[in-house]
Amino acid sequence: MTDLNINVKHITRVEGHGNIVVNAKEGKVEQVEWQVPEAPRFFEAMVRGRSYEDIQTIVSRICGICSISHSLVATKAVENALGIEVSEQTDKIRLILHYAEQLQSHVLHVGYLAVPDFFGAPSVVPLVSKATDAVKTIIRAHRVANNWSDLVGGRTTHPITIIPGGFTVIPSEDQFRQLQGTLRETLKDLGTIAEVVLSVAENIPDFTRDTEYISLSDPARYSFYHGGIASTDTNEIVLVKDWHSVTNEFVVDQSTAKWAKWHRNSYAVGALARFNNNADQLTDASKGVAKMLGLEKGCCNPYFNNIAQIVECVYVVENAIKLIDEVLTAGLKNEVVKTSPKAGRGAAAVEAPRGILFHEYEFDSNGNCVAADLCIPTNQNHANIQDDFEKLVPEFMGEGEDALRQKLEMLVRSYDPCISCSAHMLNVKFV
Amino acid sequence: MTTNDRILVLGLGNPLMSDEGIGGFLIEEFIRQKDKSPNVDFLDAGTGGMTLLTLIENRKKVIIIDCAYMGTEPGTIKRFTPQEVNSMKKLMHYSLHEIDILKVLVIAKKLDTCPPNVVIFGIEPFAVELRPQISNTLRKKIDIYIDEISLDFNHYIKVPPKNQP
Repeated sequence: MTDLNINVKHITRVEGHGNIVVNAKEGKVEQVEWQVPEAPRFFEAMVRGRSYEDIQTIVSRICGICSISHSLVATKAVENALGIEVSEQTDKIRLILHYAEQLQSHVLHVGYLAVPDFFGAPSVVPLVSKATDAVKTIIRAHRVANNWSDLVGGRTTHPITIIPGGFTVIPSEDQFRQLQGTLRETLKDLGTIAEVVLSVAENIPDFTRDTEYISLSDPARYSFYHGGIASTDTNEIVLVKDWHSVTNEFVVDQSTAKWAKWHRNSYAVGALARFNNNADQLTDASKGVAKMLGLEKGCCNPYFNNIAQIVECVYVVENAIKLIDEVLTAGLKNEVVKTSPKAGRGAAAVEAPRGILFHEYEFDSNGNCVAADLCIPTNQNHANIQDDFEKLVPEFMGEGEDALRQKLEMLVRSYDPCISCSAHMLNVKFV
Repeated sequence: MTTNDRILVLGLGNPLMSDEGIGGFLIEEFIRQKDKSPNVDFLDAGTGGMTLLTLIENRKKVIIIDCAYMGTEPGTIKRFTPQEVNSMKKLMHYSLHEIDILKVLVIAKKLDTCPPNVVIFGIEPFAVELRPQISNTLRKKIDIYIDEISLDFNHYIKVPPKNQP
């Protein structure tokens, strides 16, 4: 009978990590835990007392990968709290910027975390020699996303152009046209990346667990930025202002991060959740990539989150090209933004690359923040990872400890949890 | 792809985590006096992780400023090249959010996009905790850091002698 003792632990002082703990004796599973022992960060306390004009700059530092999403959702929440309306142009350019981050993050996730697994490489470093052309294509798409973020957000990471009411500066018509040309080229690279993944897709574990998937949903489009909260368990759309009734955050012993649940013990957010709620609204080309890679609506294989990300890459690039056309056809306007402080409370949601992200703020009559509440996608996925583990371990324990550990690590990677991104200091020893 | 002759000075870290944000803090100081160094680009790259890979590519020279545990007194600044250190950081590869600039440089080297000249300035933290200010230990040494880092591109700038108005 199988004995297992998997204990993948690594705790540093500040940077949190997830631990995988599995114990089995004589074929009987005794312990299966996904532990998140990161130090609580209390960003909510950091924005209290700060002006409504500063919030998006501060919260963009919560995450180096999702900084555009944090800036955008904070700005939307501030605007909701203060009753600030934005123009159609601003709404569209924000969406164009938001798409840049989806491409930036997804390409990185697929290329640097998932593809090495599929190729059987321990990380992207050895893969550079093993599949040089594939890595170069991934980096080319990543570079496009970085330049795109820089052009619209004013900086590759931690954007500086987004302000309540609009933008400090927007790209010129020429710059937008140039971006469109680059994006058309990128569609070809994304096709190549999809083919590379297809060539190793047989290494994606065959594992499914019936799961509730939560994401934004909007009748007008495959949503990253608009609409209400949808679940694959119901037909109901919950208004964003009522987001607490969806997340129902709770505390567990094995984690310092809060967990979340809605209709069941857990739910999943992210690309696969968006796909499962909104796949019908994809473009023909992105639907084609989904079909090619075997992704169908209703898929409950968490490893397919990476496949949904490739599909979304195609979608955001195609839709950005279309949105740029719409913005330029309407004629670019230099809008002067004027806002003034006011007391109020407002919530907002956007889809960060790894799932639905909620921010809510309250301001006093001087426009200073008196309360904040943030709920990140990674925390919403923790309970789901635990539930995946509990089904996966008995199913695959016969394959032995190493194979099982690899599957569990790949599973965590497929969610790309944001659990160690607040601090990145070097730790070196001189040779 | 053409080579970019301008020196890039990158500040890394999170300004909300006290001394972890020293890189970006110093970049802000340099940007305030950027007229002195017209051929140098300064960028607060925050915690962008792998994004650094495309930021540094095809530069002739990149100077990286980062908070670093080096086993020295808090506030110590050390200049070193990537070849002179071993990273003690253990990466789990669970997430894009883990990152080590030394690993990014290894990938860049393999891809032949690594700048030929990379210099790192490590600054030993006094405090890495949730606080949006640099500790006094480091704050008192800002001028020293600026002077020392500037030496790496001082053929582009003229730093006025300290005693003159």
